[in-house]
This record gives sequence, structure tokens and C-alpha cells, in this order.
Amino acid sequence: MSSSANTNETRSWLWRVNPTHAAGHAGLLVGLLVLWETGSRTGLLDPLILPAPTAILAALWQIAVVDRLLWGHFGITLYEAMAGFVIGSAIGIALAIGAALWEPFRRYSAPYVVGLQVTPRIALAPIVIAWLGFGTTPNVAIAALLCFFPPFLNTMTGLLDVDRDLQEMFRSLRASKRQVFTQLMLPTALPYMMAGLKTAMTMALIGAIVGEFISASEGLGVLMHRFTFQLNMAATFAVLVALTLMGLLLFALMEWVDNRIVFWRHDERMQEISRKRAAREAGRAATETPGTARVAPAGRT
Amino acid sequence: MQVSQDMTMARAKASATTVVEARGLDKSFGSVIAVDKADFEIKRGEFISIVGPSGCGKSTLLRMIAGLTPRSGGSLSVNGREVTGPRGDVGVMFQKPTLLEWKTVIENVLLPTALKGRVSEADRSKAQALLNLVGLQDFAHAFPRHLSGGMQQRVALARLLKIGSDILLLDEPFGALDEFTREHLNLELSRIVSDANVTSVFVTHNISEAIFLADKVFVMTPRPGRLAAVVDVPFPRPRELSLLANPDFVDLVARVRDIFSKGETA
Ligand SMILES: Nc1ncnc2c1ncn2[C@@H]1O[C@H](COP(=O)(O)OP(=O)(O)OP(=O)(O)O)[C@@H](O)[C@H]1O
Ligand SMILES: [Mg+2]
Repeated sequence: MSSSANTNETRSWLWRVNPTHAAGHAGLLVGLLVLWETGSRTGLLDPLILPAPTAILAALWQIAVVDRLLWGHFGITLYEAMAGFVIGSAIGIALAIGAALWEPFRRYSAPYVVGLQVTPRIALAPIVIAWLGFGTTPNVAIAALLCFFPPFLNTMTGLLDVDRDLQEMFRSLRASKRQVFTQLMLPTALPYMMAGLKTAMTMALIGAIVGEFISASEGLGVLMHRFTFQLNMAATFAVLVALTLMGLLLFALMEWVDNRIVFWRHDERMQEISRKRAAREAGRAATETPGTARVAPAGRT
Repeated sequence: MQVSQDMTMARAKASATTVVEARGLDKSFGSVIAVDKADFEIKRGEFISIVGPSGCGKSTLLRMIAGLTPRSGGSLSVNGREVTGPRGDVGVMFQKPTLLEWKTVIENVLLPTALKGRVSEADRSKAQALLNLVGLQDFAHAFPRHLSGGMQQRVALARLLKIGSDILLLDEPFGALDEFTREHLNLELSRIVSDANVTSVFVTHNISEAIFLADKVFVMTPRPGRLAAVVDVPFPRPRELSLLANPDFVDLVARVRDIFSKGETA
């Protein structure tokens, strides 16, 4: 339990920008950009290696707004990453549940799991492409293959980390096996699962891009490949910026989902839920006994 | 008048039915004898304290009554039926609050009901009433993480009472709390169980706490875990804190302490 809380905290430490430092952050960013721009304009930086920020921005404008070239590819990559993420995570979680509930499966699958983990799975990409041919399908498969591991491992760890005293309590209440699973093991595992899913999301995007690098006809990876080939570095960097934005989008999405699902790891969310429930209860009391309702909430606070 | 009423109460208790009966109750873990041939009876409505040093088998005895630990030998029956596993007429409260952190306070109290089937509106008002009883009326929708340790144990107490069993087994329920909170919760517990007229078995390693709460104190000595004596506590229940200063009470504490020192020299 504490380990997953720690991962969450580390993440939020990276993620959270203290508002009092906002000016500092903005100043630093602007400073770096100005330095970079000056470097490019004075010829200190070769535009074939590192184009100027304004050039990258112009290229982004060109491919995104003028040519409208970016969006189709953006959609393809997003689709591959998301589909790979969903498939990979679903397989990972399903296998983890099987392994957690069924000891022989856990025992006999462990060597293969370790084998698969120590293999740099990205090396399977060419093989997957050889199997599945061209188009988006192999890239979805590569994304799935790359991202399935963290949800698998985290879900299993979480399911096996159930508090012994809570287990005893459920036993004393004569809970069925099914109830122990759905009401105790699964909620215990959820924070771990979410941490695994966040990592999986990042990995799925890497998988999709690498797949596109190797062989594909559409996607941001293809676009980058094409632009570097044309020595259009500004446009290449513009695509990279688009990828960063996609990564941020997916990250924010996962943070939002985490906040909803694992609400008991987020103090503000818990307080919000508590407030809403109390308000609903008060509302219900008001409709039932209109006479006393006005007095009760005031008396309580 | 007061005295004669107490005497009729005492007589009523004497004639009360036996709810827990153990004969030659044994438990060993490998070569460790945790409970050695215990014989005892617990009558309806009685408050029993089990007291003894760490490792003398208090928890093991309690867990056997709860049906959580199988016995190695002897016989044990609750409400006339042999104990074979966890059962509905017995509720257990543990040393830790064992609350589900993803459920609100009232949802935690309703857990025993939810596990048995649907939670009705009547169940919800019962749960709220129990929260009022343990002094948590304003925290029904809070999450356990936002409560202090003492408040969490009260939630666990409310949940125990929601089970609706007539036998309550409490294993050092307030042991992890500071002395002020513990004393306060002991008083509340003693008031609540005498109102509800349930049978209680309370484990502690604090002698004066054991005596303060109980009708009878089961004194256990270690290696092997043995039920060395059953001490009757003559003061009427529920009790006031002033009892702690009563010379008879102080004598009784000394007598129980004596049992331990004898056990050690023997
Ligand atoms: N599951 C177990 N496996 C092996 N030995 C056990 C187990 N449970 C208890 N014991 C042993 O049985 C003896 C009695 O343990 P028990 O937990 O009943 O003591 P206790 O009186 O409750 O002590 P405490 O006051 O520290 O809680 C101890 O020697 C302990 O080591
Ligand atoms: Mg114990």
C-alpha cells in the first residue's frame, strides 16, 4: 500500500508546479528560448542540427494549419497508442488476476514472465511487422506488447498485497470468495493498477512510434521520418512538439482517471465526496421532515 | 433498595443460560502450547476480561471462540452449537480498526450488512444511530483516513454492533490508543454493552482495565498458555471512574497481580 502511495507522490511532485514559482518557470523558459533563438540567428547553431524556435513554430503552423497535414497522422498515432494500451493493459490485468487467484499458474508462468521482461521487447517489433504486415495493426500490436508488463506486474502485486487483518475481518464476517475478491482484493489492487497503467500509457506511445519508424505509411513517426529524409529539420521538430503534446494529453487523461477511480489516494477528492454525500443526506432529510431539517445542519456545524 | 436490586440482578445472572462452554480446550502451534486444556463457561450478558502477559494465548483463545482458529483438542460450543468456523452469532473486533479506506464511515459500518445482502433504508438509519451512539454522528460521510485512531476504532465498534450478534469478542480493541482515549472508550464500551445486554469477551494485558470492565476476569499465565484463575468482580455494572480509587477494587487488582507472581515462582 505504501509503495503505491509513494509512486503517486513522486509523480505529483514532478507534476505539480507550485504557483508561487510560476513566474520563475515562465522566466526560465523564455530565457532559454531567447538564448536558443539568438544562437540560431547568429549562426552559432546549425539549422540542420537545431533549427530556431521561431522556425519550428512556423513549420508547426505550416503543417498543422496551412497544409492540415498533421492531424491525420496525429489521429493515427493516437489511435495506435490508445488501442495498444487498451489491449495490452487488458491482457496484462487479466493474466495478473489469473496468476493472483491461481497459484499453479503463478508458479509455472513466472520464468516466462521474467524472460519476457528481461528481453528488450522493442526488439520484437520487426518480427511483429513480419507477421502482421503493413498498416496500423502491427503498430497496435507493438504498442500492446510493449505496455502490457507494468499493468500485469502491478495488478498482481496489488492483489497479493491485501492486508492480513482485513482478510481476517472479511473471514469473520463470513464473506464469500467472490466478495473477498471484488470488495477487498480488487480495491486494494486499484492504486497499484493505476500506477501501472500510467507507465503503460507512456510505453504504448513509444511502441506506436517505433512501429511507425520501422514500417508504416501513416502516423507521426512516418511524418518525422519523411521530414528528416527531406532534411526539413524545422518540420521534424514541429512533429516532435506535436508528440510531446500528445504525451501530455495522455498523461493528463490518466491523472484525471486516477483521481476518479483511486479517489481515496487524493485528499481533496475524498473531501469533495464527503461533502457531496453529506449534502445529499441533508437534502433527503429536508424532504422527509421539512420542520426539523432547517435546524439540524445549522446545529451540527 | 439499591442493594436488593443488585442482588436480584446477580441472581438472574446466576440462573442465566450458558452461551460459551469449553471443556479441555487445547491449541498448539507445533511444539508451542498456546492454550492448555482450558475449562470455562460464559453466561448470557456477562462481561469477561481475559488478562495475561504477552504470548500467553489470549488472542488464540478468543480466535478459537470466533471460529477463526481451529482448536487442537477438547470441546467448544457457542449457543449450544459446536464451533466449526466463523459464525453469525459472534462478532469480532480486532486490535487494528480494519476499516476499508475506500468506503466512508457509514459504508464501513454497513459492511457486515452489505456482505449478507441488500442494505435497506432501515439498515442505514440503524447505522446512523450506532454512529450517534459512539459519538461520530457528524462523520458518517468522512473517510477513515481523515479520522484519528480513536475515531477509527469507534467506527469499528459501530460496525461490530451493526453485525447484531449477541456475543462480542474484542481483542485489545483500544490497545494502540493513548491512555485518555482508551479510558474514555472503555467507559463508552461498558455503557453500550450493558445497554445492549450482549455477552462480551474482552482481551487486555492491563489488569485494572480488565477488572474495571468485567463481571469475571480470566487470568492467563504463559508457557504453556493456561487459564490460571477466574476472578469474580463484585461491583455492579456499568461502572464509574471513581471505582478505580475504591479500596476493594485496589485489593482485587493486587490479588490478580499475585496470581501472576505465583505463576512465575511455581
Ligand atoms: N499462527 C500462529 N502460528 C504459530 N504460533 C502462533 C500462532 N499464533 C500464536 N502463536 C503462538 O501462540 C502463543 C500465544 O499467542 P497469542 O497471540 O494467543 O498470545 P497473546 O496472549 O494474544 O499475546 P499478546 O498479548 O502479545 O497479543 C505465542 O507463543 C505465539 O507465538
Ligand atoms: Mg494477542
